[in-house]
Amino acid sequence: MRRQLAGWVGAVCLAWVSLAADVPPVVLQAQAHRQALIARVSPTVVAIFAASGEGGGSGVLISDDGYALTNFHVVYSPSSPFLYCGLPDGHVYEAVVVGTDPVGDVALIRLVPRHPGQKFPYAPMGDSDTVQIGDWCLAMGNPFLLASDFAPTVTYGIVSGTHRYQYPAGTLLEYPDCMQIDASINPGNSGGPLFNLRGEIIGINGRGSFDKRGRVNSGVGYAISINQIRNFLGHLRAGWLCDHATLGAVVDTDDSGRLLVSRVLETSDAFRRGLDLDSELLAFAGRPVQSVNQFKNALGIYPRGWRVPISFRRRNPDTGELERKDVLVRLMGAHATGQLTDILQRKQPRQPGQPPAPMPQVPATALPAFSDTLKRMYEARDGFANYYFNRLEREQLLTRFRRHSDARSLSGPWQLSGTFASGTRIQATLEVDTESAALTLADRRYRIEPLREGEASENLREPKGSGGILLLAYHWRRLLVLGEKGFEAAFHHGGWEPFYPKGIATRHMTEVLLSEHAGVSCKWYFDTTDGKLVGAECFPERDEDPCEVVFEDYRQVYGQQLPHRMIVRFGDKEYGVFTWNQWQITAKP
Amino acid sequence: MSFAPRFGPSLCTAWITKPRVAWTAALCLTALSAATFSVRAADRSFADVVRNVQPKMVKIFGAGGYRGLTAYCTGVLVSPEGHILTVYSPTLDSRELRVHLYDGTRYEAEVVATEPQLDVALIKIRTPAELKLNDLPYFDITAPIPDVQPGDWVLAFSNLFEIATGDEPVSVQHGVIAAIAPLAARRGVHEAPYKGTVFVLDAITNNPGSHGGIVTTRRGEWIGLIGKEVRNTLSETWINYAMPIKDLRRFVEEARRGVYKRMPAPEDTTKIVQPLAEHGIVFVPDVLDLTPPYVEGVLRGSPAEQAGLKPDDLIVFVRLPASPGSSDYEERVVPSIKSFRQLTASLEPGTRIQIIVRRQQQLLTFDLTLAPRPKGNPAPAKKDSSL
Repeated sequence: MRRQLAGWVGAVCLAWVSLAADVPPVVLQAQAHRQALIARVSPTVVAIFAASGEGGGSGVLISDDGYALTNFHVVYSPSSPFLYCGLPDGHVYEAVVVGTDPVGDVALIRLVPRHPGQKFPYAPMGDSDTVQIGDWCLAMGNPFLLASDFAPTVTYGIVSGTHRYQYPAGTLLEYPDCMQIDASINPGNSGGPLFNLRGEIIGINGRGSFDKRGRVNSGVGYAISINQIRNFLGHLRAGWLCDHATLGAVVDTDDSGRLLVSRVLETSDAFRRGLDLDSELLAFAGRPVQSVNQFKNALGIYPRGWRVPISFRRRNPDTGELERKDVLVRLMGAHATGQLTDILQRKQPRQPGQPPAPMPQVPATALPAFSDTLKRMYEARDGFANYYFNRLEREQLLTRFRRHSDARSLSGPWQLSGTFASGTRIQATLEVDTESAALTLADRRYRIEPLREGEASENLREPKGSGGILLLAYHWRRLLVLGEKGFEAAFHHGGWEPFYPKGIATRHMTEVLLSEHAGVSCKWYFDTTDGKLVGAECFPERDEDPCEVVFEDYRQVYGQQLPHRMIVRFGDKEYGVFTWNQWQITAKP
Repeated sequence: MSFAPRFGPSLCTAWITKPRVAWTAALCLTALSAATFSVRAADRSFADVVRNVQPKMVKIFGAGGYRGLTAYCTGVLVSPEGHILTVYSPTLDSRELRVHLYDGTRYEAEVVATEPQLDVALIKIRTPAELKLNDLPYFDITAPIPDVQPGDWVLAFSNLFEIATGDEPVSVQHGVIAAIAPLAARRGVHEAPYKGTVFVLDAITNNPGSHGGIVTTRRGEWIGLIGKEVRNTLSETWINYAMPIKDLRRFVEEARRGVYKRMPAPEDTTKIVQPLAEHGIVFVPDVLDLTPPYVEGVLRGSPAEQAGLKPDDLIVFVRLPASPGSSDYEERVVPSIKSFRQLTASLEPGTRIQIIVRRQQQLLTFDLTLAPRPKGNPAPAKKDSSL
């Protein structure tokens, strides 16, 4: 009997071998490529377990120092920012939540190395805008928490749709501009990576359409596009509880298919730039928009505070003519200050149609206590997921900034002399010290004392049309000379933002510092490579246009790099250009 | 398909030695042919094929949105003048039938012909006389149909879950033909009218709104029309299938020319399949059009008895899942015995429902968990059984 069985199996195997030999080489090549790819990216896939022992999901490492992406709904816990993570090397790692994006359902976590100097394997991020319907994709993660050795499950499928819009639950967990896939997505896959066949992360798998099958795969899964996540990465790394953006205007499609503004907030930058009721929105952030979904897709991928170009057609209020406007607008927050925190404290957000992930196999009591090293990596603060990481990013930015130019020793009064050009060229002198700022233009002198009680707010906007260049100069000197000590109310790393030194076409990414002193907020833009301060905005009043400055022509003065040209803008207009021939800094009094 | 050589032998042994169900053999065939099929570039994206097919797909919006019936489905253009083949469903039963083309153009449409026996319908875009369409992209149903077999890759195009509207492209899924077999299935309580041979797929095409979508080969050649959401009567599993277009060809051609004559209806087209679950309520004799749903008695040991329903209770409302298996509940007025039977006929064993009855001057609520129907002859001894 046994021999008979063995013979049977042997025959089948032989038959199989001959069949396998018929497989065209191209199929075997594709298979080998796929296997090699999976072997290469598998080590980067993280199995995530909540500290409470309730629930888990997946993630993916994106840097060798342990930063990993996952879903917000996987890691969010009102009680603890700490997590356990399993890597395919078979080890459990401690991790802490770094930054969260509850609207976009994204979180950044950081794994702690098991020994000093340990480098983590990580996967590169791809470009999700080049993904096409019909492309193959690999979803990896820990569905149903199957992997006891943390080796990820791989499901293989195609991209079923791109630029899909999936509605939020309340105001959280919105999936704009996402990818739809037919690779199986099940509970526990949440937060895991979606790879293209080059092994690049193109998305984070987060939800599916479920119906009569309960909440198991129905052939319709959704992944948050990596390009959206990249927009938020600076904020996430800086420990923010991120908010998404709103234009400050509501658009609807009319009968002829045009997108018309049906409501607009008067406090919005868009309104100040001329977007009004019945304006027709044509493009948003470089994308043509012809439907409400297209608009939501284009808008939903941006963080609050970013500046993006929009195009619209409107009737000129003076001439009555139709005109097209292409302008930069600052996006408002989708939530009011503190509102996100309130929502999260009120209730634990739930994935629409998806109950929380199942219980992990590991009982909570069997897990070791978190180390002190890990606990030191957390600092609670309103508006942040983890302020420890804001401090970290800020110090790193300041270090780069001061390596480029350290003006802390230049603490005496500053006097900059040169010219001011706005049509005509006139003599200009700027004097700034710790209490005041003064500007002399030809024979006209302006002076402010920002700290003096009773200093009129319209005075802080002087000279007229500049939006408050004196006030900006005053804060600028504080930043350079006093640094953190100059800003008692706020001094945060503000993530990464686009900066447009000379209009829409000159967009490039910068790192941002946000400061507040004496009731005035400023935003400082730094070159991401050398830490040079390239621009600033100063907001004498909230919800009004700031004074904008571009710093250029850095040259060596007093042993430091200091700018010799300042382009000043306010609202829709350029105020003028200062060219400084001479910097004079008195020794410390 | 990397799984085949790695796990094939042992699995196949098991399948070959137990060829009890036709499908099992067919699944085995899938594995075998998966290992033998040939492609020029196995990992190449389907993007080009998808781009070619999608302009011929339309999104259809009509009646529905209640009782598990979607108000949307999918269709495929079969003429340059705007004839669209889709599945014959209540969605089409609307005076405001609308279609969205691939480029976002929206049109009204009207039903040209239907064939309940095939479960298909031909509709046509309605345009003003001066605006005659004649250049829409379309599939030619008279074109040669490739010969396909189990194991062949396929692509499925449909607007499942109404994910796409306007100019958003319909969803694309991939899979293989798992079997080519007769459709033995039911939809709700009615037997599915389509009885022919279908392509059984391993792509999950059985979803709301996917009916009227199409299945193509991996080269984009049209081979099938995705049918309604039905379940296999043998296994009670949702079945992913498509009707071969060779069986729909005559309908499309003749309906387009306006000469299609419906197939003769078989004797009992709307035969009620036995209700799936047992509640155990025995009603008074149903003698009127609207016999009030008075409880005559309850079967011993039945959910109704356990819940505490009693003779002379008058059922007023019932709360039940909005669609079979759904966790959304809706409350329905129960005007008659017939209505109660219709409402509960398609519910599964294990479904929880609430029955609100009037007992003397009170309204009382009872929770019932429906039980599986007894095997064998289900008819209880009493004259009016609890079907």
